[in-house]
Amino acid sequence: MYTQILKNYLLGYVRVTIEGYFIERLINLCVKKGILLWKSNRKKSTLLETNVSIQDFKTIVEIAKQTKCRIKIKQKKGLPFVFHKYKKRKIFFIFLCFIVVGILFLSNFVWNIEIIGNSTIPTEEIIQSLKEEGLRIGIIKNKIDSKSIINKMRLNRNDLAWIGMEVKGTNVIVKIVEADKKPDIIPEDEYCNIVATKSGRIVKVNAVNGTPLVKEGDIIKEGTPLIGGWLEGKYTGTRYVHANGSVQAKVWYEEKEKIELKQVITSKTQSKETKYSVRINNFTINFYKTLSKFQKYDTIEENKKLKLFSDFYLPIEILKKTNYELVEQEKTYTKEEAKEIASNQAKMRLENQIKEKENILNTYINYQETENYIEAQVIYEVLEEIGTKEKIVF
Amino acid sequence: MKKTKKKQNRFEELLEIPKEISSEEPKLTIMGFEELLIENYKSILEYQDFYVRLSTHIGIVNINGFELKLNEMTNDDILITGKIDSIDFEKTVDE
Repeated sequence: MYTQILKNYLLGYVRVTIEGYFIERLINLCVKKGILLWKSNRKKSTLLETNVSIQDFKTIVEIAKQTKCRIKIKQKKGLPFVFHKYKKRKIFFIFLCFIVVGILFLSNFVWNIEIIGNSTIPTEEIIQSLKEEGLRIGIIKNKIDSKSIINKMRLNRNDLAWIGMEVKGTNVIVKIVEADKKPDIIPEDEYCNIVATKSGRIVKVNAVNGTPLVKEGDIIKEGTPLIGGWLEGKYTGTRYVHANGSVQAKVWYEEKEKIELKQVITSKTQSKETKYSVRINNFTINFYKTLSKFQKYDTIEENKKLKLFSDFYLPIEILKKTNYELVEQEKTYTKEEAKEIASNQAKMRLENQIKEKENILNTYINYQETENYIEAQVIYEVLEEIGTKEKIVF
Repeated sequence: MKKTKKKQNRFEELLEIPKEISSEEPKLTIMGFEELLIENYKSILEYQDFYVRLSTHIGIVNINGFELKLNEMTNDDILITGKIDSIDFEKTVDE
């Protein structure tokens, strides 16, 4: 039933009013001839409103003549009438076709590459190497051979553990798992020394295998051998071994920070201006004057790719430039303030370098004061494991 | 006449053919108080806003109500919607 009504909607139907005394007869005749009437409504005793499909309309007119009823079209519904309405607007239709064809055409290309999962490798680098393997923005989707691209990428780059590629609309999502760099492991049966990676003062030497070359309290430089990969015996002579053991040392980290007492501080005011431009591939159209109305300003650029629905990216970008007005102010710090700022900044930088913060033994802060600036020197003393294995080359 | 009908009945019972297909008896289905589906009807005798009279093979069905509409009509079934008050039957075929 509903499929029939849907079919009638696609082929068009009319709502008619039938006026006459023999409406029941008309309905029966219609049913016998197989004409579908739906949503019939008796307005008055001599008036009936009902829907009839276009094809059946001719026969219903004949039946109406037979039963001496008058028939009038009240409404025309369905797709053919909708199309008829727009028949006179040819240009509208041409452009509609144009847009549909354009979208279909553009959807065959890749317009955006999204990279997920990289934390240390910059996104541009991956895009660049993808470009070398043949995946770049603007390529036809059918030409992408994801298997070979993945294989090539994995062969050429050893910092990738896994690559997955997914084409979604005009968007290519490249998922990456980064590989940890493998430390050079020296096999057990080869001879090696243990060498310092950092300079510092030795606290503890614990040689499991090999001859310790340094004592507690020694100050060593980077690269100094700590445990030698040989054993000396009275009767056996020198015998080379695979050195093993741990060496702990105090390592000093130092950072300097200079703060001028008189400083010019720039701060944002409330006023800002936004400028828009459109970029198609590499061709940019500006909608603004290039000169800003502010004397000093910060510019923040944002670009947004246009997309239809969720994954259909278009090759058009909208660039948004926001200029924030800046105001300069002179400020003089007192010496105490400057000291605090300088030491805090130095500490911040140091703490980024040190991995294990619980091993910090001592902190030393030295200040150097002059009339114009204050320089703070912050030294952290950290207890660390400093030995690594290094192969003995004969 | 009677004999042939009985024979037919037995035959159909054996094959388990549903009654509404084998016989020409109408099937009335009421959904709620506002929808009535009648299958196997013959013709419409009268249709008014408040009154529908349908003829079937075994008699006449009268439907009283308000704002009655014939929603879907095909060769053998008809859907009446509207506020249905009462339905009554008039038998025409004698046993």
